[in-house]
This record gives sequence, structure tokens and C-alpha cells, in this order.
Amino acid sequence: MITNALRWLVLAVAIFAMNFPVLVTLVTSFKSARELSTNPGFWINAPTLENYARVLQVSDRLNIFAYLANSFAAAMIGTTVAILLAFPAAYAVARGNFGRRTMMPVIINLRAVPLIIFAIPLYMMFQWLNLLDTQLGLGLILAIVNLPLALVILVNAIADVPIELDEAAKIDGATTLQIMWRVIRPVVRPALVTTFIFGFITAWNEFLFGLMLTTNKAVPMTVGASFFFSASGGGIQWGMASAVMIIGALPPMVLGLLMYRQISGSMTAGAVKG
Amino acid sequence: MDRTSQYQWAILTTPLVVFLLLFLGFPALVNLVYSLSEVRFETLRTPTLSGLGNYVEVLADPAFWRATWFSLRFGVVTALAECLLGLFLAIFLAPLFRKHAWLIAPIMLPLMVAPAMIGLMYRLVLHEFVGPVPFFLYEWFRWSPAFLDVNTAFWTLCVVETLQWTPFAFLLFHMAYQAIPEDAREAAMIDGATPWQMLTRIELPLMLPTIILAGFIRFIDGFRVFDNVYTLTGTGPGGSTMSLSIYVYEAFFKQGAIGKAVAASMILFVASFGVLWSLNRLAARRRSS
Repeated sequence: MITNALRWLVLAVAIFAMNFPVLVTLVTSFKSARELSTNPGFWINAPTLENYARVLQVSDRLNIFAYLANSFAAAMIGTTVAILLAFPAAYAVARGNFGRRTMMPVIINLRAVPLIIFAIPLYMMFQWLNLLDTQLGLGLILAIVNLPLALVILVNAIADVPIELDEAAKIDGATTLQIMWRVIRPVVRPALVTTFIFGFITAWNEFLFGLMLTTNKAVPMTVGASFFFSASGGGIQWGMASAVMIIGALPPMVLGLLMYRQISGSMTAGAVKG
Repeated sequence: MDRTSQYQWAILTTPLVVFLLLFLGFPALVNLVYSLSEVRFETLRTPTLSGLGNYVEVLADPAFWRATWFSLRFGVVTALAECLLGLFLAIFLAPLFRKHAWLIAPIMLPLMVAPAMIGLMYRLVLHEFVGPVPFFLYEWFRWSPAFLDVNTAFWTLCVVETLQWTPFAFLLFHMAYQAIPEDAREAAMIDGATPWQMLTRIELPLMLPTIILAGFIRFIDGFRVFDNVYTLTGTGPGGSTMSLSIYVYEAFFKQGAIGKAVAASMILFVASFGVLWSLNRLAARRRSS
């Protein structure tokens, strides 16, 4: 009994400590500027939405809708491209053992390589290709970030599909491409959805390439949020900064909470089998 | 496997391979050429080969070695802390998760937040006037340390990283712990094993591969850290929180020292390739033995 109470206590402390910055930011985002300077605690005396109202106002320098749209577009491109590239390759790996010895390990190890290594040449390459500061350019890089896990999840999912399905379709005269699209794709749909959600969250949260490859038109939320810290010349307006961070962090958090089962599964599967 | 199907598999893989060659292979080549060249922003397209000068410059730069030391130390400290904490939570709280699976959700919530955002949030949390941590420390102890000065910034960042990524280690350990076969536990129970013996003789050994894996993944991520360090402290007071990733970034974007930045990238590339290659060899040997 006592051990169990202790367990709940430890759990509560762990959840509180690990989510502490988000909680503090959430509370702060509802405090007025006046209250902020006198009350850093968790209790809000006069909750207000003024910070959110001000954040949503578009100015020449700050446009949160543009940052959100950029993050969304780049993450969609990054996730879709990664899946379109990884799915056929995963099929070849799982069914034909093609590329299992070289291509797979190389791509999986990409996850462990500091991506800054490729950042400078990519910056120069994007300059030549006029992809700097575009949603497409950022999206293509996010596809690279998403590729390793997409490949691992999809290879595992396809390997779990009974080979008899392929064989039956082949007897019916289906080509390899038809089998992949008409037979395998519907069966591994859950894995595709998981890959998509996970990739979207990863892409939304990416910062390094957003910082380097965008300056103005394609700035994503993670980078745009820091603009609000130096918004008004003078001191930082913490209420406003907090509201921005909450808005920026909300989409992946909501997705994560809704899909926590699939995401925790793919996170660990990707780690263990990769 | 007949010829035509090999051909088909190759076609299905081609888009991925081409994409990777274009976006990673080509940049790697550019890195190699530029690191051996004299290049400035004005002469970007016409680098002139100049030998190993850039590498010498990097290897003679004390800031490079400080950054290497920071990254190594940061990787080791955070990986250890995350694995120990994650292991403790996964095992001690296992009965709760068995009954209430949804408790996983609030625990893994920090993993859903961008590390860059977490870094920004801690600027608020630790702020001396508006941050709750200094506020409550003053309230309760009449004292609060400087969290981000030369001596403390490293440890503050370690705590920030550990609190965000312990859930990842926890998730791996949680899965591994649930996967321990019940017969193994029952057999030990029949032999009269105490709970402590059960843990140290049965459970931990069975979880060892996962522990090593989690430690390795977290070390790599700590070693290449950029986002949260950059948004919370930048290079830090006196460059005290400059990780290798930040070193490369600063060299290129702040100093415009392309040669130096590219040479440092190559060194990082070769180092990580070497480490990964030997680890993969090790894993392969373990699998085959």
C-alpha cells in the first residue's frame, strides 16, 4: 500500500519535472504584463488572453500565421517525400532483400550522424538552386531527416505481411508494382499513418536547418518563435513570448497525445530494430 | 532470385538512392573539396586547392578542442543520467503502467516539444526576475545560484537535456521490461530469489542490450546537440557552452570562415563514421557469435 502511494508520488514528481518548462510557459502566457513582474508563481490572479491577442496581430516584422503555414508546408513536404521514397525501397528490402546489406545500414546510421556536417554544402547548393528561404527547400531537407525512421518502420511493417498475399496476387497476374500498391499498401496503412504522424512531428520540431536555410519568407515556427524574444527593442515581453511558444508547441503535442500508443511503439521499434 | 526481379527491386530503390546521392553524397563531396581549398564567399564557385591548411587551422584552434570536450562530456553525462533515471522509472513504476497504460502519454509529452522551444522556455523558467525557479529558491532558501554563468551553464544544460529526453530512455526500458518472459521470473521465484536478486540477476541482465542501445543513442544525440543549447545559452559566457555543432555553425555563419567550418565538418564526419562503423562491426559480431 505504502509502496504504491510512493509510486504515484514518484510518477507525479517525474511528470511535473519533465513537463515543467511547458507548464511554466502555459501559465505565464495567461498573465498580464503587470502581474508578470510581481508574481512568477503558478497561481494566476487575473487570467487574461491579451498576450494571445497581441501575438496574433500581424506586423511587418512578426507574422505568426506565416511561421505556422511555413512549418506546416515544410513538414507536409518533408513527410510526404520521405514516405514516397521510403515505401517502394522498403518493399524491395523486405521482399527482395534488395539493399539490406548496404543501403539499409547506411540510411539507418544517418540518424546518428551530426547533420550539421552536410549543412554548409547544402546551404551553398540551395543558393545555386534558388531554394534558400523556400518551403520546398526546407521540406526536402526535412525529408532526409525523416527517411531513416520511415524506412525502418515500413520495412518492419511489410516484412510482417504474409508473403502468401503477394503470391496469390501474382497468380492472379498482378505485376510487382500492382502488388505493392494494391495489396501491400492497404495492409500496411496503419504503419504508413504512424510514419506520417511521427515524421510530421519530427519535421515540425526541426530547428537547425530552419535556422540556416530560411531568413524571411519560409521561416518555420521553431525559428520564428525566437523573433518574439527581441520583438520590441526593449526588454523581452515574456507574456507574448510565452503565448508564441505555446501556439508553436501545441500542434505536435496534440498529435503526440492523440497517437501516443503508435508513436511510443514506432520510437522504440525504430531504435531496437535499427 | 532471377534477373528480372532483381531489376525490378533496383528500380523501386532508385528514387531513394538518387535523392540521397543528391542531398548527402554531393554535399559530402563538396565538403571534401572545399576543406582542401582556399575559399571565401566571393570565390565560392572557384575554390583553389591549397592542401591541408584548413585542417591545420581547425586542429590548432583551442575553441575546436573546447567544443569537442564540451560535446563529449555533454553526451556522456546526459546519456548516463537519462538511462539511470529512465531505468528507475521504468522498473519502479511498472505496476502503475501495467494497470493504467495511458500514463505513458504525459510522460512522453516532453518528447513532442521542439528542443529549440524547450531551450527558449528555460530562458523564462530560469530568468532572475520573472522565472519561477529563482523566485521560489529565494522564497524558500533566500538564495538562488546563477544558472547560466561560466561554471554552471554546462550543468544547467545537462539538466535541461536530461529532463526532456529521459522519457525516451524510459520508453525503451519500459518495453524491454514488459518483454521479460514471465517464466524467467517464476523460475527465479521458485528458487527463492529475493526481489533484489530478481532485479540484479534476472531482469537487468535481460535488459542489458536495450540499456546499451539506449545509452548509445542518447550519447550520440547529446554529442551532436545544437537546438536547445543554441536557444538557451548560444555559445555561452566565454564560449563555455559551444558544442561541436555550434562550432561549425558559428565558423560558417558568424565568422564566414568557410574553410575552417568545412574542415571541422569533415573531421566530425570521419569521426562519426569511424565510431558508427566500429559499433556496427561489434553488433554484427555479437549477432553471429
